[in-house]
Amino acid sequence: MRSKKWSVLLAAALLVSMILAACGGGKDENSSKDSTGGDAAKSAEQVLNFINGDYIPSMDPSKVTDEFGFQFVGATMEGLYRLGEDGEIKEGIAKGEPEVSEDGLTWTFKLREDAKWSNGDPVTAHDFVYSWQRAVNPETGSEYGPYMMAGVILNADKIAAGELSVDELGVKAVDDYTLEVQLANPTPYFESLTTFGTFMPLNQKFVEEHGENFATTEATLLFNGPFVLDVENDNQHITQANQWKLVKNENYWDADTVQLKEINFVVSKDPQTNVNLYNQGEVDRAGLSADLVDQYVSHDDFRIVPDTAVFYLKMNQVRKGKETPLANENIRKAINNAIDREALVNVLNNGSIAATGLIPKDFVHVPGGGDFREENGDLATYDVDAAVEAWNKGLEELGVDSIELELLTGDSEGAVQTFNENLAYQLEQNLPGLKINIKPVPFKQRLDLNTAQDYDLQVSGWGPDYLDPYTFLSLFVTDGGNNKMGYSNEQYDALIAETVETSDADVRYNNFLEAEKILIEEAGIAPLYQKGVTLLQSPKIQGEIVNKFGARYEWKWAYVAE
Amino acid sequence: MDNKNLNNLPKELFKPLVNQENTSEKISRPSRTFGQNARRTLFKNIPAMISLTLLILIILMSIIGPFMNSYGSKDQKLEHAKLPPRVPGLENVSWLGFNGTLSDEMTGATVEQATQKAYLRFNKDEEFIDIKVISEGDGSPNSAEVKAIYHIYDAKGLDDTYYWLGTDQLGRDQWTRLWEGTRVSLIIAFVAALLDLVIGVAYGGISGFYGGRVDNFMQRIIEILAGIPNLVIILLMMLFLKPGMTSIIIALVITGWTGMARIVRGEVLKLKNQEFVLAARTLGTSNGKIIRKHLIPNISGIIIVNTMFTIPTAVFFESFLSFIGLGIAPPAASLGSLIDIGFDNMQIYPYMLVFPAALLSIIMIAFNILGDGLRDAFDPKMHK
Amino acid sequence: MTQYILRRIGYMILTLFIIATVTFFLMKLMPGSPLKAEDKLTEEQKQIVLESYGLNDPVPVQYVRFLGNLVQGDLGISYNFDNTPVTEILVERLGPSMQLGLYAVLIGTFFGIILGLIAAIFHNGFWDYTSTIIAVLGTSIPSFVFAGLLQYIFAVELGWLPVALWGEPKHMVLPIIALAIGPMATAARFVRTEMIEVKGSNYIITAKAKGLSKSERVWKHGLRNALIPLVTVMGPMIISLMTGSMVIEKIFAIPGIGEQFVTSVMVNDYPTIMGTTLIYAFGFIVILLIIDLLYGLIDPRIRVTGGSK
Repeated sequence: MRSKKWSVLLAAALLVSMILAACGGGKDENSSKDSTGGDAAKSAEQVLNFINGDYIPSMDPSKVTDEFGFQFVGATMEGLYRLGEDGEIKEGIAKGEPEVSEDGLTWTFKLREDAKWSNGDPVTAHDFVYSWQRAVNPETGSEYGPYMMAGVILNADKIAAGELSVDELGVKAVDDYTLEVQLANPTPYFESLTTFGTFMPLNQKFVEEHGENFATTEATLLFNGPFVLDVENDNQHITQANQWKLVKNENYWDADTVQLKEINFVVSKDPQTNVNLYNQGEVDRAGLSADLVDQYVSHDDFRIVPDTAVFYLKMNQVRKGKETPLANENIRKAINNAIDREALVNVLNNGSIAATGLIPKDFVHVPGGGDFREENGDLATYDVDAAVEAWNKGLEELGVDSIELELLTGDSEGAVQTFNENLAYQLEQNLPGLKINIKPVPFKQRLDLNTAQDYDLQVSGWGPDYLDPYTFLSLFVTDGGNNKMGYSNEQYDALIAETVETSDADVRYNNFLEAEKILIEEAGIAPLYQKGVTLLQSPKIQGEIVNKFGARYEWKWAYVAE
Repeated sequence: MDNKNLNNLPKELFKPLVNQENTSEKISRPSRTFGQNARRTLFKNIPAMISLTLLILIILMSIIGPFMNSYGSKDQKLEHAKLPPRVPGLENVSWLGFNGTLSDEMTGATVEQATQKAYLRFNKDEEFIDIKVISEGDGSPNSAEVKAIYHIYDAKGLDDTYYWLGTDQLGRDQWTRLWEGTRVSLIIAFVAALLDLVIGVAYGGISGFYGGRVDNFMQRIIEILAGIPNLVIILLMMLFLKPGMTSIIIALVITGWTGMARIVRGEVLKLKNQEFVLAARTLGTSNGKIIRKHLIPNISGIIIVNTMFTIPTAVFFESFLSFIGLGIAPPAASLGSLIDIGFDNMQIYPYMLVFPAALLSIIMIAFNILGDGLRDAFDPKMHK
Repeated sequence: MTQYILRRIGYMILTLFIIATVTFFLMKLMPGSPLKAEDKLTEEQKQIVLESYGLNDPVPVQYVRFLGNLVQGDLGISYNFDNTPVTEILVERLGPSMQLGLYAVLIGTFFGIILGLIAAIFHNGFWDYTSTIIAVLGTSIPSFVFAGLLQYIFAVELGWLPVALWGEPKHMVLPIIALAIGPMATAARFVRTEMIEVKGSNYIITAKAKGLSKSERVWKHGLRNALIPLVTVMGPMIISLMTGSMVIEKIFAIPGIGEQFVTSVMVNDYPTIMGTTLIYAFGFIVILLIIDLLYGLIDPRIRVTGGSK
């Protein structure tokens, strides 16, 4: 009996200690975070308060892969160049235009001598050499390094594969302020690449000093951009902070231009919550989900911000080694023509616009011409008669009178789900004898099924990683890593291959225009929509730039209006 | 009361009972089996009977409801999207909310500005929008307020169209989808609850009754099963099973029964050393029979209550699964997914949330009151 | 008894080991890789990165390495959060979730017991049905709808409390209420059922005959018996609430573990999934042990230690 009582006491003690631990843990948090959200937020004028849709998974330029990582690397660091209004290339650490050799393969950059790291060290050409080598070094485990540099910088692919040592990378510091880059192919858009997070410089001494801990806490980060990242608790892992701020970097070479003193961020994911926070004046911007757009469309602060991501329907011609009905060109054309894209974007209701080709609107200009999209026109159109005609022809060629297809979807966010339902319904309504089964799976499983080419139809999207149509059109070359739908056209392949080898802008763009025409007219894919973003945004935010790729927002020139 | 006077009864009133073979076993109260008794008690319980009727009605509606109007649950009509409820007859009673109008309050610096906003809000169909001025305003931002009532059915020229519970974002009839969704959810919830019940009671009963080593072993298995995150198990199951009702039910049951098993075990531990069990054992009743005839009936109340909790858990878990992309394959609906969609539209199209949420609440309350009634009915102490 | 506890602790380690093993191998079956830009890399590039994670080694090798680290208390580095140890994530995210969960269970159970007692005392009367309906509404209204309504009424319309965010005590009020509704309903229902059962039992009648007052009968004899199922149900509920609710954490923008866990599963962040699972399983097993010990305390007739003979 006695021992029983003791054991119960023990159990109770355990429980109490758990309770204390829980409360204790919480109190630390309170004291450390109090000041961030409240007082500082509302005081001065050049201060903005934003919601961030998620935590920052990484601040290491070599390893960053996601929207928010690129956002904060972009705001706190600076590469050779920076993106300005409308994708214009602005000077960064590099001074003036680069010197490009005749064959377009050797690029020489002059660097400014007044650029400093936040610890006072000068930013030199060696920092770029070190950083780029680190990005392709297989030991780093970078995903974007090989992706962005292979086929662009000489030997990057072989180094990433472990076949050559990192010293062989086509980049060297001629002197402290001259950087010479050897490219694998003439890459006319190379300047725009250097604005991207993966191409930011790194201070070798600092990185190696911190080793594994580099870029994990505020103390292990080094900045050379317009802002520095400030987390309340210096030793907290940045990836775990749910509040942080960007503070003007006084050591930045162009600090005079930067007007914002401070930008506060807090993580919040629920759209309704975010709108409520906006309405209470806690934050200066809130994204709106489709359901909230109806309610706020007449709000003074309602904005639609176009995005450059394009979504399209992949039509798999070879499923697990067997031809599908989609290998028939007429069937594909019928599907492409049977989609009412205007109706679809109405369902999305988030500022998205109908996509009539693969290259988004307002992305690139054809040299000496207009917007790429306008030059190539509306390639994919809604034409039920043509669709039915092609459909019947296709069915006849296949010798069947009905077809059943699976529509693979991997994102179940409310509006996207209704979008998929409407897409399936449209196709079934317009093409007699077509049955669509929607197969929702988690995102990772969709990628797996895509890689295994185990699907019929799939809604897929792509956002550009640099300012060139190649980022989109290279997806669908024969056996390309992202093709995965058995699409193959020799002429298309040849056109795309030529754009890599030449630096002649006219030739390249003619090829791009031609290739896009082939892809859509053969209905290799059926373009669906170009993403848009709807939000409530305080009118006091001025001079902020929305980038077409990489870091979404540019705050260097932003300011708060009276 | 009467018993107190028994001692004063005159003797002549008594007649010696002749011991006859055929009457010695006669029982003066009408002979009722346990089941009959239970039924009697249940039928006398008015709230429970109301609940039972309601449930039967809901189940019937989930079968015939979708056929009560001409709309199919999958027929999309984008030009009819997001229409509010409109019911013939009830449409003239404005406070009921079945009159097919949308309304919203708009603010602006002046009445004019607020009115313009209201027009913008409702497709600029000015002739179908009634504006009521709530406050005139003094020119400062958002001081003026107007209430706009939008006759959307008229604006769209749908004079004779009635969507009883409105439509969703794709113009599908909510009435039809609500009842079809109810059917899906009820099937999932029923089957999952039943399986939980059978497995959980059997497992918990055996574990608690035999105790010792058996109990120890069986409880460790429960710990392991409950310790592995079911999200991981479900993700894996979806690899091998097609998304749909079966896989959702399996996913629910795979970990769901452990709760029931633990409760039953706890109760059996409590009861198994009590006198009536000892008595039964002394009489040589087999263990299985003791569990079935003595222990389980005595914990039926707890079992019923716990089963009642399984049902909403199942409905919500299904909606959570559709939320992460693993639920019922669209375009099919479930109560959970309807509530999910409704929640996103809560502030602007409340009818999308109110009906499925209310129906679920009614189902749950009815179930619980019926469950309480059943508990009373199966409790021998309550029989009169 | 001490021996019993020691034995249980031994089993606990064994159970945890099995859970870790099963989860580890289940995760190897999960579709996709933990790579974040998976769709942008060629197969070769993917393999190189996987190599650097050590994910190309044979599964048994990975397993042994995992166990080796686990024994040393090293749960590994997250695949999702760059260079962030899983222990760091757990420390950061468990705090808010545990705080909310604990308060919610305590408050919810307290009010649940009151509701349940009221219902049992007025069995089949008006108060019984009122309490039943309150309790049932608590479970049948989804927590996200309830949370959304709370936010709308008390933060947006009335402005009494903050809409969301985390840090000060006032931020905790709405999430705690939203979370407490579940335990409240559960406690209310179980207490009611057990109390009704106990009411008719011999020892209560005896107690009545002894002249004990109604409140003494209810509190001393009745409630004690109703505690068995309550403890059985509430124990695991404490753990599941303290390990976070994805929906509530999302709606109130709370940096908790519940939402983090769902994200981790969706992006195949194996080390974080393992870490969270082990913490959850540990808490769960400890609570089950405590419950088994409490059984004996609540009802001396129960012996979990011995066999049935």
